[in-house]
Amino acid sequence: MAASDAELTALVIATKNAAAFGELVRRHQGLVRAMLQRMCRNHALADDIAQDAFLRAFEKIGSFKGTGTFKSWLCSIAYTEFLKSARKRKAADRLLDGLKAEYQDEAEAPRDMGNVVDLDRALAELKEDERTVVVMCYSCGMSHSDVAEATGMPLGTVKSHANRGRAKMQAWFANAEVMA
Amino acid sequence: MTFDDAFDARLNAAFAQAAEPLETEAEADRFAQKVIERLGRPARKRALMLGGAGSIGSAIAGTQLEGAFASMSDQAEGAMGSFAFFVNPEVLATAAIAIAVGSVALLLPRRLASL
Repeated sequence: MAASDAELTALVIATKNAAAFGELVRRHQGLVRAMLQRMCRNHALADDIAQDAFLRAFEKIGSFKGTGTFKSWLCSIAYTEFLKSARKRKAADRLLDGLKAEYQDEAEAPRDMGNVVDLDRALAELKEDERTVVVMCYSCGMSHSDVAEATGMPLGTVKSHANRGRAKMQAWFANAEVMA
Repeated sequence: MTFDDAFDARLNAAFAQAAEPLETEAEADRFAQKVIERLGRPARKRALMLGGAGSIGSAIAGTQLEGAFASMSDQAEGAMGSFAFFVNPEVLATAAIAIAVGSVALLLPRRLASL
């Protein structure tokens, strides 16, 4: 029988066992990468941040108290890494202001996957915080309180971002259907 | 958490579909392998940085030793004075630096090999 997340986590905390951590990575990489891909809108960048997030998780695994799920804890680390990366990119953008004309938007063109293209386009309509909350709720299956804990936003703010984001996406999809 | 209606189901399905290519065994193995490979590197980097810092520190300390040994031989009398007479400050300083750098050279490869 496969070991549970809790058992693997305990093993990693006790022995820093790379194989056990590798199994945790295998189990949760899809979730973390999907979340970051929707947030970044750039697959290569999302994968780099996901790797950094897992390395950070390995370093900080002793701080996982087991009060919430490992998945939520991991998503909160991934979100922190995403913010760090966004800050770095903003600083780099400021340096590149003089070259703005030559600088292309870092967001990739959506990949040709039908619904996924629509999803990315609809998400692009949201403000950054709204997108973060919607992605965490729907892609990671996190509750509003989990999202509040992971992002540091007040619970009420998370709820209003989720509602607004969802309403905007619903309007976008309705509009896209009319256009089609 | 989320609403329970048709649009919600559609959103959930779209997010699940977007994550699908990442959930294959091969993709999971490939990504996990990359992360595991990177796990050892920060420790290796840390050992190299500490080793480098140790070597630089030894070299800087070594430059001060000659003066320290010179003043010691001036002030010392008796046994220490005659010892300093045979072994001049430059030789003592060079020997101290050699021991420090040698220790780093000896310990660093072992530390790196154990990572």
